Amino acid sequence: MQIAFAFARKHLAGAAAVLFAAALAVSFVLPVQAHALDVERWTAKPNKDGDNTTVLGATATRVTWQGQTAEDESLASVTIEMPEGTTVGAENVKTTVLVGLDRLDAASEAVVDGNDVTVTLAEPAPAGALVMVECNRTLLPGGGGSFGLAGSYTTADGQRHDMPATDQVINVTGTSPAEQLSSWLNQQDWVKAWNSNKFLHLFFDPAIIVTSVPALFAGWLVSIGVVVVSFPLAIPLGLLLSFLRMAKHRLPRAIGATYINIVRGTPLFLQLYIAFFGLPLMGVQMDNFTMGAIVLVMNSSAYLAEIFRAGIQSISQGQFEAARSLGMNGAQTMFFVIIPQTVRRVIPTMTSEFILMYKDTSLLAAVGVTELMMYAKTITAATGNVTPYIVAAGFYLIVTIPLTKLINTMEARMSNGRRKHKKGPADRSITSAASVVPDSDAGVARSIRLSETFAGPASQTDAATRIYEDAKRNGNHISH
Amino acid sequence: MSEANNGAAGIGAADIAGADAADETVIRIEDLRKTFGDNEVLRGIDLDVRRGEVVVILGPSGSGKSTLLRCVNLLEKPTGGRIFFEDTEITAKKTDINKVRAKVGMVFQNFNLFPHLTAKKNVMLAQQKVLHRNKEEAARIAEEQLEKVGLGERIDYRPSELSGGQQQRVAIARALAMDPHVMLFDEATSALDPELVRDVLSVMKELARGGMTMIVVTHEMGFARDVADRVIFMDGGHIVEQGTPEEVFDHPTSDRTKDFLGHIS
Repeated sequence: MQIAFAFARKHLAGAAAVLFAAALAVSFVLPVQAHALDVERWTAKPNKDGDNTTVLGATATRVTWQGQTAEDESLASVTIEMPEGTTVGAENVKTTVLVGLDRLDAASEAVVDGNDVTVTLAEPAPAGALVMVECNRTLLPGGGGSFGLAGSYTTADGQRHDMPATDQVINVTGTSPAEQLSSWLNQQDWVKAWNSNKFLHLFFDPAIIVTSVPALFAGWLVSIGVVVVSFPLAIPLGLLLSFLRMAKHRLPRAIGATYINIVRGTPLFLQLYIAFFGLPLMGVQMDNFTMGAIVLVMNSSAYLAEIFRAGIQSISQGQFEAARSLGMNGAQTMFFVIIPQTVRRVIPTMTSEFILMYKDTSLLAAVGVTELMMYAKTITAATGNVTPYIVAAGFYLIVTIPLTKLINTMEARMSNGRRKHKKGPADRSITSAASVVPDSDAGVARSIRLSETFAGPASQTDAATRIYEDAKRNGNHISH
Repeated sequence: MSEANNGAAGIGAADIAGADAADETVIRIEDLRKTFGDNEVLRGIDLDVRRGEVVVILGPSGSGKSTLLRCVNLLEKPTGGRIFFEDTEITAKKTDINKVRAKVGMVFQNFNLFPHLTAKKNVMLAQQKVLHRNKEEAARIAEEQLEKVGLGERIDYRPSELSGGQQQRVAIARALAMDPHVMLFDEATSALDPELVRDVLSVMKELARGGMTMIVVTHEMGFARDVADRVIFMDGGHIVEQGTPEEVFDHPTSDRTKDFLGHIS
């Protein structure tokens, strides 16, 4: 045991001696080169709007290299190896040499060869001089990345040395093609002229338009997603509610009417707040998208119920009577006679309701659903510019305008189709919703819409409904 | 009584072969009353209709004749009285009115064709849904019936593509396809242009000749005179006078009837 210990100690001393010698050698060898030039700076100027730390790729910036020559050496040229994919123009490279506090007006020549920027000083910088190379309007790689310093320099004696190491790095944030286009736009003279107008700059800044479109696109998809999920679900619920509302018995009718009146009589915004703040307190947890979709379904179904009711009641009483007189029961009459005719009539109004729901998705921004409006708000907050909202308006319009046109086409087709065969009634129904003839599809669609627009939530009646209700008061109803 | 079942190429007479049982009552109405609010439209109507009989109801507007007709298949719910169809009291609560309606065809003033369906589909729909005939059979019957009313060429037209007279004949075919025991006509020609009335009336005449039991509310005096077995004159919710066309038209007993007929002709 003791022998083993002594043996180990003897060898340990030997190893320590070897290590010491090696360390000494290294400390003599390395500084010989390093001391010729000290790198003091390797930086790029932040170039992102409203952010003074980020350096964007593919966006003009100034890359600065600064070094100090050693006490015993003078510098003839410097070669800076720029990151792969950098664009820099020789004419934009500016070199400054300072000796003490004096600026040396020595001419210098910059050459760009691929990624290498070589600056040759006409007169070598003396020992102890400060040399600064500034590469203006440099486009660092668009993909971004972390870039250390590489390159070389030559001393006055013609000896070439590797660039000393530095722990400074340039962190470049990647940019998308849109951001690159945006920064390019910002360099253009016409854009500058355009932006010199305060209104145009604040509302229609070309560069922000370019960056907003792809950024808002994601939000737009969410908005579309909410409607595409919600609307089809609101249809059957709305149909069910309209049946409740028209039921023969008082209880289902009261339930339907109460639901419809409450939902139509309160703002969607309030309904969203109740759901989003109330349900979590109740311990109901679900993601924002789902919750938002549920509220929209519940809201829209109430409006759809009234659309369906008006549509169904606009079908002439004779249709019910004809079907019933053939022995069809209530359900058969509804599904094979009334609803097929109603669908045609309510499609324009339903499309309007679709548009309303699509626009209403913007309210979901207030409860944290990352939809179109939310994105626009975020970008506007970051840039202090209203342009993203204008872009958002565009995203809403590219859906709503074609749909509105579609509605007009459908209505025109309906009234034309009718006019061809039944001159009198169709013409009358077009000129005035009040004199609507129950058999005229266009007239009904229009009158439903008119009442949607002008009537209060609880008082939605259209001419056709009135005709129906008059008939009902006269006891002109179908018995079962 | 029409000379039922004399083998005429009548329409839809197929299943009333039993009409030889001459005096069988198909519809019996007892003390029928109907009020709309304060308005008493029917004030105690008693009426029996025998199998194969064609009854034409005349009267000024508001006399309750359409209401009477609509009560027969309960499109209007009577306020009082009873109605029997064959062996069934249709005014009884437990009666399945849909079964009765399937056997009572009705033709409306405004045709009431289903505008979203072609003529053929109009005639097929209730056959399939109510009588549960399969599609092929319903289609075959629809084509047959449309052929009989002279619309064989138009089976695939939609109502909006047909004239009023054609629409009304489709409506008749639609009712006949259900093999009804009784047909009700509620001013079937009133909404038609005069030149179209004739086609519809001739279909109705042929139907009557085929032995169909019919109750017809109309203003067509010529039709009543030619086709009716019995003419009923209604006024103020009462049956004022009834009898053969000769009796009512040529020798009316009531002043109201005389007055009405005087105005008409």
